[in-house]
Formats: sequence, C-alpha cells, structure tokens
Amino acid sequence: MQAFLQQVVSGIAIGGIFASLALALVLIYNAMGLVNFAQGEMAMLATFVAYALISRGMSYWIAFPVTLVLAFGGGVVIQRVVIRPVERAPILTLVIITLGLATLLNGLAGFMFGYVPRSFPSAFSAQTIDLLGVFISYRDLGVIVVSGLVLLAVYLLLQHTTVGLTLRAAAHHPEASRLLGVQVSWMLGLGWGLAAAVGAVSGIMVAPILLLEPNMMQSIIIYAFAAAVLGGIESPLGAVVGGLTVGVTVNLAGAYIPFVGGDLQLAVGLAIIIVVLIIRPNGLFGRAATRRV
Amino acid sequence: MLQRIRGAPPRYWLVGVVVLFFVGFPTVISSFLASEWAQALILAIAIMGLNILVGYSGQLSLGHGAFMALGAYTSAILAHHFKMDIVATIPIAGLLTGLVGFVFGIPALRLSALYLALATFALAVVTPSLIKRPAGLTGGVQGIILTQPDPPGFAQSAYGFLTGTAMTSDQWIYYICLFCALILFWFAWNLVRHRPGRAMRAIRDGEVAAAASGVNIAGYKTLAFGISAFYAGIAGALFALATGFVSPDTFPVSLSIQLLVGAVVGGLASIPGPLLGAIFAYFLPIESSQWVPSQSWIPDQIASTVKNAGPAVTYGAVLILIMIFAPNGIVGLVYRGYVALNRRLRGAADRETGQMPPNPQTV
Amino acid sequence: MTALLEMEAVHAGYGQTSVLHGVSLSVPDGSVVSLLGANGAGKTTTLRAITGGVRWTGDIRFGGRSLRRMSTEDVVRGGIAHVPEGRGILTELTVDENLRLGSHLRRDTKEVRKDYDRVFEYFPVLKERRGLSASTLSGGEQQMLALARAFLMKPRLMLLDEPSLGLAPMIVRSIFEIIRSINQSSRVTVLLVEQNARIALDLSTRAYVLEVGRVAVEGESEELQGKESVRRSYLGY
Ligand SMILES: Nc1ncnc2c1ncn2[C@@H]1O[C@H](COP(=O)(O)OP(=O)(O)O)[C@@H](O)[C@H]1O
Ligand SMILES: [Mg+2]
Repeated sequence: MQAFLQQVVSGIAIGGIFASLALALVLIYNAMGLVNFAQGEMAMLATFVAYALISRGMSYWIAFPVTLVLAFGGGVVIQRVVIRPVERAPILTLVIITLGLATLLNGLAGFMFGYVPRSFPSAFSAQTIDLLGVFISYRDLGVIVVSGLVLLAVYLLLQHTTVGLTLRAAAHHPEASRLLGVQVSWMLGLGWGLAAAVGAVSGIMVAPILLLEPNMMQSIIIYAFAAAVLGGIESPLGAVVGGLTVGVTVNLAGAYIPFVGGDLQLAVGLAIIIVVLIIRPNGLFGRAATRRV
Repeated sequence: MLQRIRGAPPRYWLVGVVVLFFVGFPTVISSFLASEWAQALILAIAIMGLNILVGYSGQLSLGHGAFMALGAYTSAILAHHFKMDIVATIPIAGLLTGLVGFVFGIPALRLSALYLALATFALAVVTPSLIKRPAGLTGGVQGIILTQPDPPGFAQSAYGFLTGTAMTSDQWIYYICLFCALILFWFAWNLVRHRPGRAMRAIRDGEVAAAASGVNIAGYKTLAFGISAFYAGIAGALFALATGFVSPDTFPVSLSIQLLVGAVVGGLASIPGPLLGAIFAYFLPIESSQWVPSQSWIPDQIASTVKNAGPAVTYGAVLILIMIFAPNGIVGLVYRGYVALNRRLRGAADRETGQMPPNPQTV
Repeated sequence: MTALLEMEAVHAGYGQTSVLHGVSLSVPDGSVVSLLGANGAGKTTTLRAITGGVRWTGDIRFGGRSLRRMSTEDVVRGGIAHVPEGRGILTELTVDENLRLGSHLRRDTKEVRKDYDRVFEYFPVLKERRGLSASTLSGGEQQMLALARAFLMKPRLMLLDEPSLGLAPMIVRSIFEIIRSINQSSRVTVLLVEQNARIALDLSTRAYVLEVGRVAVEGESEELQGKESVRRSYLGY
C-alpha cells in the first residue's frame, strides 16, 4: 500500500509537468484552433537557456523567472515571424509549419549545445520526508508546488485580468472582438508567448529527471498530448486533470503491469490518445462537437 | 508509329527520358552510388504513398514511418524466421501493411484533421519502443540482419550482354526498387486521373459538397489510407532489402518527418512531386554531411555538430519556408514559371479588363 | 450642424463581387440617421466598410479624419461602436465579461462606474444575469447586452445593424426608446440600419434608402414618411 501511494505521489509530480506542457498546448489551441507540435521543442530550448544562465553563475531562482520572460518573448517572436504570415491558411498548412518549427528548433539546439546529455540542477534536494507514512522526496514535492503555482497563475491571469479577458475573447470570436477594440493579432502573439512561458516550466522541471539534451521533450510532448486530449483540448482545467491522470496512470502501469514495464510507458500515452479520440473525442471537459477543421 | 510518337504531348517525352535515365545510369556509376539511388527511389515510393493520402485525400499523417516499419519488419521476419525469398516477401509486406492501413483508416474517419495528425505523430514517436517489445520476433534492440540476394541468372546474363560487365548485388537491388517505383508511380498516375482520384480530391476540397454529389466519403477515405499504407509497406520492405538490416532505430520519428518534407518540397497532389521531393530529402543530409567535413576551413568540432544537426535545421527551415512561400512545392514553382513564361510570350492580350482594381484597404 | 461621419463615393465588396457602387452619406453630429433598404441592398456592407470589415475605395471621414487604411481595432478605438448583424455577443463568456469588454479600453474609472449604473437602469435584466453565460440570454436580452456593451465603449458614433431583427414588437419599442435616450442624454450619434422603416423613421431625423448598392432616396425622415410614393416603392408600408 505504501509503495503504491509512493507511486501515486511521484505520478502526480510528473503529471504536474505534463499538465504544464498540456496547458501550453491548450492555450494555443484556444487562440487559433491549432495543436502546436513545436511546444515541446520550445520548452527544451528554453531549458537550455536556463541552463546557460545557471552555468554562468546566475542563481536558480533568478534564472527561472528570467527564462520564463525570455521564453515569453521567444513565443511572441515565433508567432510574429512564422505563424502570422499563414494565420488564415488551412489547418494542414499550420500543422506542417509547427512540425517544421519543432524540427528546426531541435536542430538548432543540437547545433548550439550538442547532443551530449547534461545534468540539470534541481532547486530541491533528493532527500525524502515522511508524510503520513509515505516517503516523498523534496524534489517531487517541489515539482508539485511549482507546477501548481504556475497553473494557478495562468488561471488567475485568464479569468481575473483584463488581458486574460481579451485573450479569451479574441480566441473565441476574433471578428466580434475586433469590433470591441481588441487587437486580435497581438492577442495571438500574447497567447504564443504565454504558452511558451508555461511550457518552459515543464522543461525546467523535467530536466533534472531526464538529463538535458535536444530530444528531451520528445516523450514528454506525447504525454502532454495525451493529457490535453484526455482533458478536452480546449479546457485549461482539463489539461491539469488530464496531466495528473496521465502521470499517475503511466507511473502505475510502469510499476505494476509487468508487460508495460519501463519501456512501454510511452505506448500507454499513445493508447490513451487513441482510446480517448475514438471513444470521447471531446475529452473529459471539452464542449461537444466544436470541430474546427 | 513514328507519327504517334511525334504527336505525343511533351510531357510523355519527358517521362520517357526520365525513365531511360533511371534505367541506364546505374551502369555507369559505382555500385555504392547505385545503392544510394535505390534508397532515394524507396523514399520516393513512400512519399508517393503519403502524397496520395495528404495531397489527394486531404488526410494528414505524420506517422508514415510506422507503416514503413511494419512493411520492413514483415519482410525481414518472413525472410529471417520463415526462410522466404526476400524478394518474394515484398508484395506480402505491401499487402499486409495496406490492410493494416485500411483498418487504421476506419477509426481515422472519426477524427478531425488535427486529431489525426496528433494521433499519427504519437504513433511515429512510439514506434521504436513498440518494435523492441516482441524481441523473439523482431530481434529487439539488435534488430534483424538479412542476407542480400545475388542477381539471378537471367539478370546477370542480360546485364552482361548489354554492358559487358558483371552485375553487382547493389545494382540488382537498385533495379528491383526501380521496377517497383515505376509500377507504383504508373498506378498512382492512373489512380488520380480516374474516378477514385477525382473522388478523393472532391473530399479534400470539401466533404459536404462531395457528399452532396454522391461521393462515398468513408469508402474513399479509408481506401486512400489503405493504398497509402500499401506504398509505405512496399517501401519498407525494399528498405529492408536494400539496407540488409532492420532495427528499431531505423524508424525514428525523424523518418516520418523526412517523408513529410519530401512530400511538401516536391509538391503535394502531383505525380512528379514525390520523386523530386525524395531526391531532395534523401540527398540533402548526405551531401551536406559529406561536404561540411571536407571543407578544411570549418573547424572539426563545428563540422561534426553541423553534420548532426544540419539535416534537422534544414528540414525544419525548408518545411516552414515552403509552406509560407511555395505551398505547391517544386512542381508548383515550375508550373508557375511555365505559366508566367507562356503569358509573357502571348503578350498582354488576355489581361483582365474592366474591373475596379482592389484597394489595399484591408480587413 | 457639422457632419461627424461622411462617406463619399464609397465602393466596396467581397473578393470579386462588388456590392456598394458609390455610396455617399453624411451623419450630422448628435443626430440619428437611418439607413434603410431591402434585404441585400448593402446596408450591412456599408457599416462594415466604416469599421474596416471589407475593402473599400472612395473616402470615409470620421470627425474630419479619413479612415482609409485603418484597422478595425483603430477605427473602433477612435470612437465608433459597431453592433454588428447578429449582435456579436461572445457566447463563451458571461454577461459581465461581455460588458467589461465594452469598457476595457477606458481609463476614466469613475465615469465607467457611473455608466454601468446607467446601463443597469436601462436594462435591469442584465444586472440580474451578470454572472450567467451570455449564451443563456434570450434574443431580446442579447440585443440589450449588445447595446449596453456599445454604450460602455463611450463612443461618439454608434452603428446599429438591425436592432429590431427577430424581436417581439413590445421589446423593439422599449429598445428603441433606450436608443433615443442614449442619443439625447449622452449625445451619442447613431447610424441606424433597419429593414423596419416605420419605426426607424420615427426615431431618426434623416434617412437614406439604399437600393442595390446605391443611395436611391435621401431626405429628412418626416419628409420621407409623408411621401406616399417613397413609402410604397422603397419602404414597403
Ligand atoms: N461575406 C460576404 N461574401 C460575399 N458576399 C456577401 C457577403 N456578405 C454579403 N454579401 C452580399 O452583398 C450583398 C449585400 O449584402 P448586405 O450588405 O448584407 O445587405 P443588407 O445588409 O442590406 O441586407 C448581398 O448581395 C450579399 O449576398
Ligand atoms: Mg444586413
């Protein structure tokens, strides 16, 4: 039982990471009806930026927000330069472009930082504390807290600020929003920036676990897809619930289903995606049938 | 007879020249180069499959590498465990993969374009770990090593008779690939000119209108998936044959991206597109990885990074640039050039007249 | 009276099809002007041209300044509130959020608060429904929300596209009363597009009648109401 609970807790920790990246996907989906295949690579590149800052002597807790700001700027730039020219193009075109972006960013990271995995510092020690009989590492706890704070911050921003209101308005009804003076195109830029910053958190949180290298996010993005799809791809709350569910499920499956073990965990992510898409394409929290093709 | 040839439209001439070129030139290049061109042809077949799916039926697959893997492993397993002649396994691999693709196409009907892209991408990422699992069958991480066939007697003697030299195994494999490519390109050409192709394009351009004019949407969409997977399966089997080796790492997600790059660069919804795209997608990383280290002015360390990261950077940049500036790929550019040239030759005679020029005032 | 809005020989259309063939009209500051005409005459397109929703040539001036090459957002920020055909309610958001979008660009916090009070005086039902999703409102309530939101933008000019469409006569009357009161007590100029000519002419001082993209008749509202021939052939009553 205790071992089981421990698996659940570390599942929640990793699930928080998935949730951050899934939330980034949801933000862009809501802004323009697009799944950003480059979200993981954007997070990876941001993590390299954090790495560069920290290894030049900046303290972790300063490098962290600085990276998020830089990631935000990078997201805005990407939207302005790459996405804006094709904003009204068919969805296939947009998907191929984000895939191209993913490939490009992956290559650039390899170009600048090489492919040798590097260890990335964690702000939290690997020591464990005994919480009601369950041993939890500070690291897991830290990941849970940080992810929780980020998700809370995004929630507050979207629901309780004017910027958040205009972001949502532009996402749902661009034409009507324009008539209210909302600068829709900039809102898209803002959405990309926000998504990049939120995604960067997932990269920074996962890097101490996986080691930092250009392909680090390749599996994480699949889990994030699974989380976003499970939650309903337009629902921020769904992304969080989906992320935690996927994290716990994958962890438990790896630990208790011998057939899955360590190396088929990713296949569990794929299975979740396929099953949800076929049985309940709107996920847990998605509204019914607003298909944008 | 001569009359008929003279009367043929220029593009038939072009096709004839290209075919003759592909038939003839392995006799004058090294056996190694022949095997590289065999790989390019294999890629062209897989890209043609993807092109039928994406370009003609409008369904985006980002996971066609998975279908190639299925074809390659079918062929390898039949040859290795069941001691079949590897050349004979090629059609079996194609048919099996085609069947799987057809079945895969049924749930795909329920997905929006975006979700289909997402699911197939996930499939591509997971494929290597899926292959590793039934290790008894697939050889696990090590994969399966295959013996490449020697040219059979008839090919030996025909080749010897025509060129006066002996045919190598690589050349034989090249001709098998060329044979398959010719048949499959010919088949694709017929497909898109006739009813199924028209139906698929109608579906791509708007399902509602297509359904209204009586097109069986579900039928043609799954058919497109099946045919597309068949092509990928054949390509996979040829890949196993030409490489003599299959392993999980032969089918990374970047293979699927390479296929997409080829399809997009060459030009979606065109017949010559996949060939041009394949040549680009295959030779670009090879040439750049050979060229960069050969330049003495580039420091070694940078050269090795460029070699590793170069293809990804170029593929990514090319995908983005093509989609923004030339969404119809090389074929589209050539066509545009041709039209512009034609118009210039015919002068301004048929310029649009009358209409008020649109004001740059925008939406 | 000086003209707040002037259109001069405006051509506009969608892609290849041109819809307006040289529309000229003038909206005096502080007035209510009706833009009438049959379905498909180009009334909605005229409003869209003003707020940059379609391509146009000719000239449109607002407060003496040309609106050429201005984006929709900038036109709107310049003081034009456009309640579009279909009302432009953001149904994913709550009633309150829709209202806040109306006032989100304003910095005069005190005035905004007063305007909210005004709005809830005009439309008490919106106060009751503040927290609900805008999609739960009835057609009449959505029209009220659209008007209220436009009012909160504190515009100099309101463009209203068929506010009576699909509403019961009782509700139409009360909405038009409120439009009159917004015009008179807050000095908001109104360009009112209507198919329901009778009620529009009651409210407006001037009117234009569009016919297939051209101004067929123009004049003082009373004058038009008086002319039997105009009423018969253009206004359908
Ligand atoms: N988005 C559009 N695309 C193409 N044509 C349109 C569009 N909107 C309106 N039209 C055409 O423009 C003409 C005028 O339409 P509109 O301005 O909506 O008229 P009204 O508002 O007076 O009923 C009609 O013939 C209509 O078919
Ligand atoms: Mg109208």
